[in-house]
Amino acid sequence: MTIRVDPTRATPPSRQLVEAVLDRIACGTWSAGDRLPSVRGLAAEALVNPNTVGKAYRELEVLGVVAGRNGAGVFVTPEGPDTARTERRQATLAALHAAVEAALAAGHDAARLHRAVAQRLGGAEGTEGAKRRRAS
Amino acid sequence: MSPLQATPVAIRARDVQMRFGRTRVLQGVDLDVPEGATTVLLGSNGEGKTTLLNLCLGSLARTGGALEVLGHDPQTRGAALRAQVGYVPSTPDAYSWMRIGDWFRFLRAHYPTWDDARAQELVERLDVPTNTKFKQMSRGQGMKAMLAAALAPSPRVLLLDEPFGGLDPLVREEVLRNVIAALGGEPRTVLMCTHDLDVAARVADRIAVLVEGRVVREGPVTDFADDGAATPERLRDVLAAATAKEVA
Repeated sequence: MTIRVDPTRATPPSRQLVEAVLDRIACGTWSAGDRLPSVRGLAAEALVNPNTVGKAYRELEVLGVVAGRNGAGVFVTPEGPDTARTERRQATLAALHAAVEAALAAGHDAARLHRAVAQRLGGAEGTEGAKRRRAS
Repeated sequence: MSPLQATPVAIRARDVQMRFGRTRVLQGVDLDVPEGATTVLLGSNGEGKTTLLNLCLGSLARTGGALEVLGHDPQTRGAALRAQVGYVPSTPDAYSWMRIGDWFRFLRAHYPTWDDARAQELVERLDVPTNTKFKQMSRGQGMKAMLAAALAPSPRVLLLDEPFGGLDPLVREEVLRNVIAALGGEPRTVLMCTHDLDVAARVADRIAVLVEGRVVREGPVTDFADDGAATPERLRDVLAAATAKEVA
């Protein structure tokens, strides 16, 4: 899956890259010890300035999800997958809460929302993907 | 990068003036282009973007003000600078009867840092046709040939004049990918003119807005939006606002 940046989104490009990398680590595409694409490689893939990728990698490093090994590249840390899952769960749950607030404010009644959520969850019980789709 | 950290300036323009006959194209340009960053110069047609690039190259002589590129005045030290400043014009300017190899032989004599192996590698990586004359190349092929020629001497400064105009979406993406590849690696300063706000939002570290021959706004791209997301739409608004203010 190619990592793409959409500059028209209100999320800054470097943040979009952080989220894309966190998602890949959270769902296991990249595991602990795996090497991330090079800064130049990901820049060419996502069509953004390499400085933007560098900024995203620094943010991921601050989160403790990846660590640079001098000269060898940037690798997923042992605690990376857990941190990535926590990080993305919190963010997507917050988005879900916001969506519920917005729906209530728009006049949906609670029973109807319950049904809608239950329907979604029934289709894909307990999978991360369904929750994330629902939240975004 | 903290604002207190002094970044060396690659291009410094102070009150740069340019007149063609009675037409004043640049009316006091002040601009600092920091080293290692990509600065995108936005502005409508006829605001003087190409003129400014030509002054930086030393291919035009300014009519006033001070200009330094890598510490040299391009007007008097053009030859010294040529090796360190790459330029991609908005339209391929090689002789139309030349093939890429002929063009490289022509350029090599003028560039002390010209690297044949690197030139060959660029031609392969950018997929420039080797057996086609410039006059028979498509616009996309011509632009890629120009980019390869500009990058072969490993310039410290790269000037790009509207490199994406008139390219179909797929070729545009290919050229963009190659420009982005050129941004990485060694510390390289890029000054790019473009109308393409999608490109600006993707590659700009800094944005400078040129209106009526003056830089009316300049700064890190993140300053052009409250939350750091300088979308093409917001850049369009910035450009429209700057133009309206100057004309009023």
